[in-house]
Amino acid sequence: MDIFVGLATVLTDPVILAWIFGAAVIGMIVGAIPGLTASAAIAMLVPLTYYMDPLAALAFLYVIGKSGRYGGSIAAILFNTPGTAASAATQIDGYPLAKKGQASKAMKVATISSVIGDFFGEFVLIIGVAWIAAIALHLGPPELFSIYLAAFVVIGSVIGKSVLKGLASAALGVLIKMAGLDPVTGGERFTFGQVELTDGLSLVPLMIGIFVLAEVFEQLAKRSAPPEITEEPDDQASRDRNRLTWDEFRPCLPHILRSSVIGTVIGMLPGLGSTIAAFVAYGEGKRSAKNPEEWGKGALEGVAAPEAANNAVSGPSMAPLLTLGIPGSTIGAILVGVFMIHGIKIGPTLFVTSRELIYSLFACGLIGIVFYGLVGYFGAANVGRFITRIPVNILYPVIMLTAVISAYVSRGSLFDVGVMILFGFIGWGMKRFDFNPAAFVISFVLAGGAEEAFRQSLRLSDSGILIFITRPIALAFLLIGIAVVIYRVRSLRAKPEAPSLKDA
Amino acid sequence: MKRRQFLISSAAFTVALAGALPAFAEWKPKRPVNAIVPYDAGGGTDSIARAIAASMSEALPVPVVVVNKPGASGVVGATAVANAKADGSTILITSGGSFVLNSVMKDLEVDPFDDFITIGQIGDLTTSLMVPVSSPFQTIDDLVKAAKAAPGSLRWAHTGRGSFHHVAGQGFLNSAELSAVDVAFKGGSATRAAVIGGQVDFGMIGIQQLSGFTDQLRPLALVSNERDMFSPDVPTFEELGLNVPLISSPIVVFAPKDTPDDVVAALQDAVKTAADSASFKELMSNGNNAPSYLSGADASQKLLQMQDDARAIVSKLN
Repeated sequence: MDIFVGLATVLTDPVILAWIFGAAVIGMIVGAIPGLTASAAIAMLVPLTYYMDPLAALAFLYVIGKSGRYGGSIAAILFNTPGTAASAATQIDGYPLAKKGQASKAMKVATISSVIGDFFGEFVLIIGVAWIAAIALHLGPPELFSIYLAAFVVIGSVIGKSVLKGLASAALGVLIKMAGLDPVTGGERFTFGQVELTDGLSLVPLMIGIFVLAEVFEQLAKRSAPPEITEEPDDQASRDRNRLTWDEFRPCLPHILRSSVIGTVIGMLPGLGSTIAAFVAYGEGKRSAKNPEEWGKGALEGVAAPEAANNAVSGPSMAPLLTLGIPGSTIGAILVGVFMIHGIKIGPTLFVTSRELIYSLFACGLIGIVFYGLVGYFGAANVGRFITRIPVNILYPVIMLTAVISAYVSRGSLFDVGVMILFGFIGWGMKRFDFNPAAFVISFVLAGGAEEAFRQSLRLSDSGILIFITRPIALAFLLIGIAVVIYRVRSLRAKPEAPSLKDA
Repeated sequence: MKRRQFLISSAAFTVALAGALPAFAEWKPKRPVNAIVPYDAGGGTDSIARAIAASMSEALPVPVVVVNKPGASGVVGATAVANAKADGSTILITSGGSFVLNSVMKDLEVDPFDDFITIGQIGDLTTSLMVPVSSPFQTIDDLVKAAKAAPGSLRWAHTGRGSFHHVAGQGFLNSAELSAVDVAFKGGSATRAAVIGGQVDFGMIGIQQLSGFTDQLRPLALVSNERDMFSPDVPTFEELGLNVPLISSPIVVFAPKDTPDDVVAALQDAVKTAADSASFKELMSNGNNAPSYLSGADASQKLLQMQDDARAIVSKLN
């Protein structure tokens, strides 16, 4: 019932409402600009919050995090560029929709899905915060590794036409991720004496290269061919094409609900985060879809599934943060700092000492979702119609420029720009020869955490592999992984050519 | 109207400030001072650096702007400062402990002593040995006995090989002649959660991270020569009769080697004034960090001692 008190407090305070509204808009903008991540923006805004009331400060940053996750979908759909890593799965279907001139429709679906997913996660948080924290505490390295493994298997269904080439792409992602410091010994691997490589390659420039530059190169290569993004000849036709009907939206609903659950569960687990949630939801959505052959070619469900999941992470990830001090994301880590600055002690006693503040913060979260949903549905969706009217010979140079700036600003490093260009060529090559850029990026994202958990487990067990079987939660997730593999093998045998060959 | 008033009053304030601080008359910086923090925004060192930068901006005629240049555990940012123009326009705010340990563990292009002038220490993060409350170990003695009874059976957590938590923990094991298996976790919060969840038998965790978790964690001893201001019940290793080298993470302000003397003096005064200011102390104590100022010479001395201690510990690692 504390949440109603919280809601009453927040709704009657116009200053806090203004901060939440500001946060919803700022989050959307920084989320939509690739490379300018919500976490960087929040870090810059932290000094401002020293002088703010604690609730306003926390609500401001919390809502930026939420709407930033949503904002990433805007760039993913329009430019095939994930604005945030969490929206990389959205572009798989979002961009084909934009190419068909249905960018606004895709964005409407993204908005509704994000809002539903976010609400779902927030409600679970409000009802079950203590319970979630108890689960998170029991997850040690062996459990986390089993979860990573299950995630790998579930995501496997995005692997496209050729299983062999898909696996090769995934293996390359793992290999590239190995560059940097060894998580156990701290020794350098594949750094070739380069100081910049000791941290490994960062995700942002790599992803921009693989997805964005590769697309720009692709367009350059077929310059003589008619451009795919065409000028809209008729406003009315475009408007009709972008009207979202109930018949179109209804098939998305089961995906949104399933993905909300997936996102919520992943949010409870420390350290996995929205990117992984989005990919798992996409993989699972495609596996269970009635129309898997349309996924990857512009299925609205393919936008709905990852978008619901990446926002559903936001709420539940606050539980391990608030009660155990484990930040699930960079934004979470910054929030911990803000709590400290205001002299609020994070930990199990937080719900005793600052109960009112915490429930007011959750209330701000709920209101923030409404705000970014409204702004997104009526605002961002219209941007799509405008963008599709920009001719390619202007659009692609602008995208190219944005890509270079984005790669540079995230760490202020020219090395990262080089990384982006290199992976632009790699991504282009992968597309040409039917390798799978998505599988490559996913395994790059998962490999780091999986390796760390695996090697920590082996340190704990004197290199005994049984640790994954003797711990019940670890065993449960291993079995889930195995079950998915068996299911997939059976369904492939049952209809040997259906999804596996028509896949995108 | 309001804006004009603000401009006038802030101009008047600046004039008053300039008049009140004749010590800086020799150095007249024309540009803002860039304070490079070689870590991501939002971390522990970053928040302390931002707090001191805000206070230094009040003590200097120009603002001090924090610029994050993360990479290679702080080496990228340090290298950038070492190669920057040595005119006071670029300074480095970093964990002096990590910097020294890094230079001991690896062959770096930059050296904390050869390439920099130490301006001063503004804080000092100390680490401590903690066990979960459910642990059978009530004291360090219990832990030492158990470890001696079955060498190599205990597991302990730290924030990564070569971090000050790891080196300090290894220093404890060496001094008590124990062997235990170390497990690296990513960052202080993950380490703390691993200890609370009983994944390991003990962990080396920053004492300030105890805040809010006193019902879950039992700190047994602190790696310091004096007790912590916020956890006065935790004894130091020294009190318990163990000679553990004082490996900590002093937050230190550095300037490039060839910075002129008058600029160094002005910066040193500014750091001292800022570290002494009420606003800085308040921000520090909110994070359970005790402000602990040391002059450039003292801080440099402390880092040299740490370098010697760390070399001895690291040489024994396999």
